[in-house]
Amino acid sequence: MTLEMQVLEPEVAAEHPVGLRTQAFRRLRRDPVSVFAFSVLVFLVMAAIVGGPLAAHLTGHPPNATYANALASDGQPIGIMQRLYEANGVTHNPHGSLFILGADSLGRDLLVRVLYGARISLLVATGATAIALIIGISLGLLAGYLGGWVDGVVNRLTETAMAFPNLLLAVGIAVVVGPGILNVVIIIALFTWYYPARIVRSATAATKQMTFVAAARTMGARPRRILLVHLLPQVWGPLLVYATSIIANNILFEASLSYLGVGVPEPTASWGSMLSDAVTSSMYTVDLPLALVPGLALVITMLSFNLLGDGLRDALDPKATRR
Amino acid sequence: MRRMILRRLMGAVIQLFVVTIAAWFLFYVIARFTGASPAQRIAGKTASAAQIALVAKLLGLNKPYWQQYLIFLGHLVHGNFGYSYFQDRAVSSILWPATRATASLVLGAAVIWLAIAAPIGAYGGLRPRSIGDVVGRGLAIFGMSIPVFWLAPMISYFFAFQPTQGRILGLPILPHGTTLFPITGYVDFGQNPIEWAYHLILPWITLAIGFAAVYIRYIRTLTAEQLSEDYTRTAKAKGASTRRILLHHVGRNVAPTMTVLLGADVATALSGVFFVETVFSIPGLGWTGVYAIENLDYPVITGVVIVCAIIAVLANTIVDLLHGVLDPRLRRVAAR
Repeated sequence: MTLEMQVLEPEVAAEHPVGLRTQAFRRLRRDPVSVFAFSVLVFLVMAAIVGGPLAAHLTGHPPNATYANALASDGQPIGIMQRLYEANGVTHNPHGSLFILGADSLGRDLLVRVLYGARISLLVATGATAIALIIGISLGLLAGYLGGWVDGVVNRLTETAMAFPNLLLAVGIAVVVGPGILNVVIIIALFTWYYPARIVRSATAATKQMTFVAAARTMGARPRRILLVHLLPQVWGPLLVYATSIIANNILFEASLSYLGVGVPEPTASWGSMLSDAVTSSMYTVDLPLALVPGLALVITMLSFNLLGDGLRDALDPKATRR
Repeated sequence: MRRMILRRLMGAVIQLFVVTIAAWFLFYVIARFTGASPAQRIAGKTASAAQIALVAKLLGLNKPYWQQYLIFLGHLVHGNFGYSYFQDRAVSSILWPATRATASLVLGAAVIWLAIAAPIGAYGGLRPRSIGDVVGRGLAIFGMSIPVFWLAPMISYFFAFQPTQGRILGLPILPHGTTLFPITGYVDFGQNPIEWAYHLILPWITLAIGFAAVYIRYIRTLTAEQLSEDYTRTAKAKGASTRRILLHHVGRNVAPTMTVLLGADVATALSGVFFVETVFSIPGLGWTGVYAIENLDYPVITGVVIVCAIIAVLANTIVDLLHGVLDPRLRRVAAR
C-alpha cells in the first residue's frame, strides 16, 4: 500500500517527503471525534494511575475499607453526596464522612472503588492485549511468510478457536483454575490472539509478494531480517486499528468474567464485580447509582475506544479522499 | 460441490471432537487436581475413604485417562451427559428444556436485530454522510459500547421494575402496581405462545441491541459496496426504482454474506444469554451454566459447554452450506 501511494504521487513526495504514517496522524488530528475520544482515554489512564489513590487520600477512604456507618439499619447504603450516619450520637469528624458517589452494599466508597476499577480494567485489558499481540504477530508472520503446512496449521487453529462461544470456555477454564488477576490476563489472551494472527498473516502473505521483499532477498537478507525489518512494519496500520478494538473487547471480557464471579477476586474493585454485586443482590433497584456508576464507566471507556478505533481506521485508509 | 460439502462436514466433526477433548480434559482431568474429585463430590463430604474409592471404581476413575475419555465420548454419543452433582437429575434432562428456552431467546433476538439494522444500515449505505447516516452510525457505535450485562438490568429496571412503582422512565404517571412487562419468568412456547412472546420481549430487545449496532455497520458497508458496482448502475439506468434496486439487486447480493455473519454471531449470542437469562430468570443454557458454575457442578458445566459448541458448529456449518446455495458464484468456484 505504502509503495503504491508513493509511486502515485511522485511530485508531492519529492517536495514534501510525507509518509503515510504522518499523513494518517495529520488526518487523525483533524478529526474532532477522534481527538475527543483520545482525550477521554488519556483522562481515563490518568484516573487509573493517580485518580484512585488521590480520591482515596482526599476522601480518606481506602478502596477496600468498609464503613458500617455508611449503611442504614435496613442495610441501604448512603447515596450521592451523603455523609456517614452518626454512631451513638457521636458526630463524626467531617473529614472522611462525605461519600461523593455514595457507598456500596458493604459500605465502601463507590467513587474510590470505581477509580480503582479503572486501574484493574486497563491493567488486565492491556496486559492481555499485549500477550495476544505477541502470540498473534509471531504466528501470523510465520504463517504468512512460510506458507505451506505452517500456514495450514495456524489457519485450522484460528478457525477452530473462532468457532466456539469464547466466554463460555473462558468461564469454564476460569472455574477450574480459580480466580486471580494473572489467570484472568492469561485466559483473555488465550481467547484473543487469533484476531491479530489472522490480520498479520494476510498482510504478510500479501506483502511478501512485493518487489522490495524480493530485492531484500537478492541482497542476501536472511529470513529473520526480512520478517522483522521488511514485513513487520507493513502490518502496523491494520494492527493498530485492531489493537484498539481488542483492548475494548478485553475490557468487556474482564468485566464479564468478574461479573460472573470468576474474574478478578474480591475485594479488589473491578467494574464487572461492582455491577454484579449491585445486580445479583437486586440492591440497584433501591439504589440505582450502584449499577449506574460502574456501568457508565464501562460504557464511556468502550465508546472512547470504539470511536478512536473508527477514527484510526479512517485515517489509515489510503483510499480516503478527504484530507 | 459435493467435495466442498464433505470437506465442510469433516471440518465440523473435527471441531466437535476438539471441543469434547477440551471439555473433558478441563472438567474431568484438571478439575480433579484443583477441586474435589467427581467421586468425592458424588459420595458426599461425610463419605469414608472406602466409599469414595468404591464410587471412583464405579465411575471408572481408576482406568487410564484414554479409556476414561472414550467412555465419556461413548456416553455423549448416546446423549448421556452424566449426572448432576447438585440437582438430583440426569444432565441431559436439564439441558433439553434449557436449549429450547435459549433457542427462543437467540432466534427471536436475531429477528429483532435484523429488523432494526436492515433499514438503518441500508439507508446509511444509500445516502452516506446524510443526517440519517450520521445518526445511524452514532447509534451503532453507542450500541456497540453498551455491555449486555449492564443493559439487561437497566432495561429490567426501567421497563419492568419502575412501572410497578408507578413510574415510567422516572416519571410518576402510571398507577402504582402496573405490570408493563413481566420482570422475570418464562413460559414455554408450547404452553402459551402469547405469554411466551410477552415474557421474552424485554430479553429479546436486550440481547438484540448490541447485535443491531454491529449489523447496522455490516449492512451499511455491504450496501455501499454493492451500490458502487456496475450492475446497480445498469439497473438504475434501466429505470429501476431505488426500492427495487435495494430489495432485488443489492439485497440478493448481500444475503449470502449476511447469512454467514448470522451463523457466526449465533455463537457470539450464546455468550450474551448468560447475562440476559440470569437477569430475566429465563431457565436457558446461560442460566443453567451460571448456577452450575456457582455450585461447581462440573457435569452440567460440561454439558452446557458441549451443547453450546454443538449449536455454534451446526450454525456455522449450515450457514456455510447455505452460502453455496445462495451464491451461485461459489458453486462454480467449488466445481472447478
